[in-house]
Order: sequence, then structure tokens, then C-alpha cells
Amino acid sequence: MKRRLFIATSLSAALAGCGAIGTKLTGNQGFQSVLHTAEGLNLKLIGTHGLAREYSAKQISGDFPINSLDTPSDALYEHLTRAAFHPFRLIVDGMVDRPQRLSLAQLAAMRRTSQITRHDCVEGWSAIAQWSGVALRDILALAGPRAGAQYVVFHTFDRDADGLPYYESLSLSQAMHPQALLALRQNGAPIPPDRGAPVRLKVPTQLGYKSAKWVRHVEVVASLDHLFAGKGGYWEDQGYEWYAGI
Amino acid sequence: MQTGKVVYRHSAVTRLTHWLFFIAFLALVSSGLQIFNAAPYLDASDKTDMSRRVLQISSPRDNIGTTTVFGRTFTTTGWLGWTDDGMGGKTGRAFPGWITIPSYQDLANGRRWHLFFAWVMVFCGLAYLIWGIGRHDLRELVLRPPDVPKLLPMQLYYLRLRKEPPPHGKYNPLQKLAYTLVLFAFAPLIVLSGLALSPSFDAAVPWVTVIFGGRQFARLWHFVLMIALCGFFAMHVMLVLTTGFRNHITSMITGRYKLGAHDGVGI
Repeated sequence: MKRRLFIATSLSAALAGCGAIGTKLTGNQGFQSVLHTAEGLNLKLIGTHGLAREYSAKQISGDFPINSLDTPSDALYEHLTRAAFHPFRLIVDGMVDRPQRLSLAQLAAMRRTSQITRHDCVEGWSAIAQWSGVALRDILALAGPRAGAQYVVFHTFDRDADGLPYYESLSLSQAMHPQALLALRQNGAPIPPDRGAPVRLKVPTQLGYKSAKWVRHVEVVASLDHLFAGKGGYWEDQGYEWYAGI
Repeated sequence: MQTGKVVYRHSAVTRLTHWLFFIAFLALVSSGLQIFNAAPYLDASDKTDMSRRVLQISSPRDNIGTTTVFGRTFTTTGWLGWTDDGMGGKTGRAFPGWITIPSYQDLANGRRWHLFFAWVMVFCGLAYLIWGIGRHDLRELVLRPPDVPKLLPMQLYYLRLRKEPPPHGKYNPLQKLAYTLVLFAFAPLIVLSGLALSPSFDAAVPWVTVIFGGRQFARLWHFVLMIALCGFFAMHVMLVLTTGFRNHITSMITGRYKLGAHDGVGI
């Protein structure tokens, strides 16, 4: 009986030790690159080409959580909110043939698309809303990406407490997905400031952190390496996967 | 009886996938609880819906942790809700730091562990099953109709209400039931319910999320299946400990197993 007790005690100690080993291994660069192999596998096997489920109007969530840094404290953004976004111009440039500076009126005059889709947060919750605006592929068609363009980067008005800018990116083929949307309206009304006014990205086939709020500048690039920590987004630079499909 | 006879019981593939699966299982549970901590509630619905909440772990104020199951609230301070923060202090956090990877709150790294070891588990399971088709390792493990009437006598034997176990092969009928459930129900379902949480997978293969009752419901299933697998794991370890620990561990390392008085003949 004593031997069994000894074995049981050592097993529990070993289990508790596993957590400590796990925490230590997390900080190891070699181990991190092993863990990282799963991202490529998921991107290959699951991909981003499916069409997100669309819902009916009565399934829209009554209380869509707000889960982000606060409304930007950027001076230009504050000026734009006071001016009801009249001076706002969405810049589209980088590796394109026809760089654009689009006012809200110009965006509103483009072909309008609408979707009622589920927003899946990386934390685990989901909320359904209606989003309408301009399909990202229509904006890209207007600007004309050049040969060699690989990614579309979304710069925003937002910064974190340390002043790091919030940005996101999609591959060119993800940006051409029919449901990738530059949203101007949520549930029929202009997007409120705390939810990303006047223009936010909506990518319903990936986790919520891809759907950047307060987009001011769409930049077409060949590589993400030169941007900030080089991982293709604010959250990616913090350790989240660039492939936000799972 | 061939008591004392040493037989070659576990093939190299069985032994290798067993231990890899063991590591993956520990990593998946503890990183999964880390991920759960980011939204410590489960709803029986597609979108998040408080009116269909089944479980909520929270900390209504400092030094208090509560767990609400089907609307009934229990104080679980120290265990759930108000727990160790993995850095030597206490904080409002659903599962405690000693059971999560990393120990402190870190959703990004918890996800990295989870998404990697999920693949390890899938590869182990597939390798074991595909390799095992038609081989004795797997054939002896699966519950078949003739085993069903022996389930009750075997349970009675375990409860010491019967002197002898019913005659059986390498594995007894209850072992077969447990292994069959784990291999062909719990493991595939926990993988599918995990995939159902992926917005890209849901977009590509929508029926999977539908069969689980929606994304939040799939999260609930994923959690319940984890509890079921932990139950199997606890039972498995308990039986290994009480029925000849050294013999079992040796056989899962070298493959060689010394038959006991009540072991079925099998291989």
C-alpha cells in the first residue's frame, strides 16, 4: 500500500511539474518554431475560401460586445469625429496602378454589398450583426494591384497604450474573397465611433482580430516584413497567428 | 492458466502512439483550459446568448470565485473563479495557473500549444487506427456484440460481487467498451467540435457546426468531451496503478507483459 501511495504522489507531482515545464518551454525559441508549424498546416488544410454562413435579420445579436482598445485618442481622429467625417479620405496606395483618396460620399456611391454574419472572437464568444459597405475587391479593382503584389495592409487610427499602431493584413486572394468587406454601416446605421467609424474591415471567415476598426489607409505590398514587428498585424506581432481562420 | 508467462503484448506503433498521445493529451487539456479562461462561460447556442448559458465561472469581487451551472451558483474560491494567477498571486481567473499552459494568462501562447498538439493527437490517432486495421492490437480492443452480455458480470467482478471475471481475451469487456468509446466516439468528436469553432472551417464545411448546434454549442461539446476523456484518463491511471503498475509500464515501454491470474489468454 505504501508503494502505491508513493507512486500516486510521484504521479501528481509529475503532473504539476508538467505545467511548469510547459510554461518554461513557451519561452524557448526552438520550441516556438515547432509550435508554429501548425499555422501553415491549418492555412493549407482549412484555408479561407469557404463562404461564411449568412443569417436572417431576426438572429442579429441585441448586445454585440465591444472588445478592443478604446476609441482612438488620435488628434486627427478626434477632429474627424467632430466634423462628422466629412474631411475623411480613405487612402488606397502602395503597389497599385491608380492610387485612390476616397471620401465617404464616394464610398457610399459605390456598389453596396450587405451581409448578416457571425463575428467569432479569438476569446471564444460570437455575435451576429449586419454589415454593409463596399466589397474590398471592388476597391482593389478601382486601384489596380500591380504584378508582384502579395498582401493588402490595413492601417488604422488606433494605437495601444505604448503608442504602437494597430494594423492588419490579408493576402491578396483573401482580400478578393466575396465577403471581405469595408463596412460603412452596422445594423442599418453608420458604424458608431466605438465600433470602428467611419470605415472598418469585416472578414467573416476569420477570427475577429482580423476585422480591423477605424481603417484609414489600405496599402498593397509585396511583403509584410518591413511593417512593425513583421508579422502582418498588431495582434500577430503580439503572438497571435497571421492565419486567423481557427 | 498461463500465469507468469511473458507475452509480447504491445507493438512498437501502439507504444509510440500511446506515449505521444499521453503528452498531447496533457498539453491539450492545460492549453485548452487557458483558452477557456479567455471567455469562461459556455452557451447551448450558436451565437453567445446569456439566456442559454450552461456554465459560467466568474469572480463577482476580489477574493470570491463562483461557478454557476444550469443557473445554480456555487462558491468555488481558490479552485475556480478566484485562483492563482500563475505568477505567485491570486486573481479573478476561471481555472488556476497550476493547471494551465502557460501558467499565467496568455491566450496567444495557449492557442499555439493547443493548435499544435491537436495535430499531434490527430496524427497519433490516425496512425494507430490505419496501422491497426486487421492487426491484433486493434482487433482485440474493439467491443463486439458477443462482448455485450459479459459487461455486467465484469462490472460485478470489479465491485467484488463476483469471484471470477467472465472469460475474455486480451482485454476484458469493460476495457473494450472504454477503449471503443474513446477511439471511435470521444476522440473524433472532440476533434470535430474543435474544428467547428474555426470560422474558416465553418465556412468551408458548415454541416459540422450545425450538427453540434452552432459555434457556442460546439464549444460546450468540446468542453464536455474533454471532461469525459479526463474521466477515462483518471480511470485508466487508477487501474494501471492497482493492477500491477510495474508490469503495465514495462509492457507499454518494451511491449513485454507478464500474464496475471485473471488475464485473458489473448496475445
